[in-house]
Amino acid sequence: MKIDIGPVTRLEGHLSIQTTVEDNVITDARSVGEMFRGFEVFLRGRSPLDAQQITQRICGVCPYAHAIASSYAQENAYDLVDVPPNGRIMHNLIQGANHLYDYLLQFYQLSALDFIDVTAILKYSGADPDLVRLRDWVKAELASGKPFPAAPFLPRLSGKYLEDSDLNIGALKHYIEALEIQKKANRASAIFGGKFPHATAIFPGGCTQDPNIDHISSYRSLIRDVKEFIHQKYIPDILAVAGGFPEYWEIGQSKGGFLSYGLLPYGPELNSPRLFAPGVLLNGSLEPVDFEAIREDVKYSRYSSASGLKVREGALTPEPHKPSAYSWVKAPRYKGQMVEVGPAARILIDYTQGNNQTIKQLVDKFAGLAGIGAENLNSVLGRHLCRAVSAVVIADFLLDEVERIDPGAPTMASYDLPESGEGFGATEASRGGLLHYIKVQDYKIERYECVVPTTWNCSPKDDKDQHGALESALIGTQVANPEEQIEANRIVHSFDPCLACAVH
Amino acid sequence: MMPDLDRRKFLKMAACLSAAFGIGNLPEPVLAALKGIDGAALPKLIYLQGQSCTGCSISLLQADAPNAVTMVTEYSKLAFHADLSATSGKQALALIEEYFSGRAGEYFLAVEGAVPYDMPEACVIGDKTFADHLIQASETMTGAVAVGTCASHGGIPAAEGNPTGAVSLKEFYKRKGKTPLVINIPGCSVHPDWVWKTIVHLVQVGLPELINGQPKLFFERKIHEQCPYYHDFQQEIFAKKLGDKGCLFKLGCIGPDTYADCSTRWWNSKQSWCIGAKAPCIGCASPIFAAKKDFPMYRIAKKGNK
Repeated sequence: MKIDIGPVTRLEGHLSIQTTVEDNVITDARSVGEMFRGFEVFLRGRSPLDAQQITQRICGVCPYAHAIASSYAQENAYDLVDVPPNGRIMHNLIQGANHLYDYLLQFYQLSALDFIDVTAILKYSGADPDLVRLRDWVKAELASGKPFPAAPFLPRLSGKYLEDSDLNIGALKHYIEALEIQKKANRASAIFGGKFPHATAIFPGGCTQDPNIDHISSYRSLIRDVKEFIHQKYIPDILAVAGGFPEYWEIGQSKGGFLSYGLLPYGPELNSPRLFAPGVLLNGSLEPVDFEAIREDVKYSRYSSASGLKVREGALTPEPHKPSAYSWVKAPRYKGQMVEVGPAARILIDYTQGNNQTIKQLVDKFAGLAGIGAENLNSVLGRHLCRAVSAVVIADFLLDEVERIDPGAPTMASYDLPESGEGFGATEASRGGLLHYIKVQDYKIERYECVVPTTWNCSPKDDKDQHGALESALIGTQVANPEEQIEANRIVHSFDPCLACAVH
Repeated sequence: MMPDLDRRKFLKMAACLSAAFGIGNLPEPVLAALKGIDGAALPKLIYLQGQSCTGCSISLLQADAPNAVTMVTEYSKLAFHADLSATSGKQALALIEEYFSGRAGEYFLAVEGAVPYDMPEACVIGDKTFADHLIQASETMTGAVAVGTCASHGGIPAAEGNPTGAVSLKEFYKRKGKTPLVINIPGCSVHPDWVWKTIVHLVQVGLPELINGQPKLFFERKIHEQCPYYHDFQQEIFAKKLGDKGCLFKLGCIGPDTYADCSTRWWNSKQSWCIGAKAPCIGCASPIFAAKKDFPMYRIAKKGNK
């Protein structure tokens, strides 16, 4: 039985999932990206610095990751080797705060409604003003007789939700609080980025904002508030959901390798060690990342341009009615193999290397609490937990990093635009490894390529008919109601897909 | 000016949007005006995304007074938003269809993103193209708000050389021979205040004066006119390199050509704004934003002085 469970909501953009279900088990899955704009086409012929702004508009959820990847790529293309420490620190402060907001949004606004029972609020008898308002509103809505009462919380998919009403009500309160806290993280990044979404003060070579105590102290204060929420609310809520749905430590396992480019360099040089180490995990063994090992297949993607091209050879000719194709997303593969990117990949790769002892300790601590092993990080709950671990580590890093600003010292490298050059820039968006490539000729962009986290995770099958990470995680999943598949929705959300990113 | 914009329609739209976007702490005359409309009969808001990056939706979540919390807890008017709705899949499509077919009552449409006019398959929601959804909605909706620069002007997806023939919401309807009410609120991303304070103005004062189809209250003056570096501009104190102090004009700042009130409003809880961080204005609220390849966003010296 073929069932399309799209459009899948509570993610960025336009995603459908076409499933085949037999005896309540998903036997085949197609991840379908439904929106195309063509960034790599219209970037050609523009001034290279325009890419800094235009690529941020690939995604308004994680624009800063694109700004950083573009900065790194341009720094390589321009041979910029004298980025002042303040410049790189500001890059990190902007990007790191963006991760924190994104993790909170991803758990509370995009995922929590898969697990927590909104209707528990009807039984609330306390005095918290937010919850009283929510309860009275839901009651009035349900009594109104109007179509679709209590939207956008209802209607919802059928399935089992968390049963403990205290946990449900607590999580609803934190849903509301998280909306306030994410603003603080974004205010912090806007201090140095100019505004959020879409920062204008980030450039290749640094940041234009002044490095002064006014900005440092505001940033520190905002991140402290976010850190407190992470420790006191976010982590306990994830553990509560895990307690109610322990089967999701097994469900949603992707069947390939893992890739991470590493995140947040410790120094101004681009090859500095990073807070999260880069690497590739293939068949259980760790390798350094080689950008030349990436090729993008398009057998099942709506392009007539050649398949299997390396990043620096990238081409893009749309063919909306291509008979074999079912998605606008390409299928990138590493050494021909499917890999997952994102929080689980980032943590697993760092954990395997023993790079960051705090990450190792946190993983071991939470795995112990949940009674799981590191291998269970490749799962629905594993991805959520890895975001929480990332949040803890990044918040601490940012509070240290902001103290490293040297007030009054330069923040920008000085440069003129080169006539030609090329460069890669790689970082981690909150949802996974992000690679930009720029080639400049005659002072203009000759080629610009982006291989984006969700391009990996939500890719269709490749030329060898290997499924993408999400597809592989869906296949084999048991679904109680094949028409709605709340189980599949939970798996999709755990990847935190961004389709505007994936296709761009 | 918009042709068919009467005060009654505007009041309804205002009430609907203020509810959807959670305007809680309104002054008394505004509340009174809102109360003059039967709350139970208020139109709903359906928020659809086309060729968008979701940046405008994320920006709306950064609103302060009112805040996004109010939006999701106190008000019921946001019937559908792909990023927030619990519903999904066929259930979500059925909800949208109930409204677009006219069966679920009055509604307004908010659109984020451009429309791929030459390649409708480049944006699909469920079983039909985004363009077909818009055509269907044009027959039943009370009006539409174009949220952000893509929906208002075409924006980045409509940049020179784009392969999908992307256009703004108004241009799409014009080419299809439709004339629904569309209000443009540009910005890449849009400022949350611009969206909801437009509504407050409508309710409290009535129809706001529009300039080029945009509310004069926010888009009357150029960024340059109220820029803190205006004195430097007059004294010819110019930043010569990125990171320098002084007027950013010679680095490519297009505040002198961009209508928006960022210089006085600021962004993210009034924490910062582009020029406040010494970043040249790139004109993100302007119809020319990113439009042409030979109009670079920054003026930086070229090596070899070519």
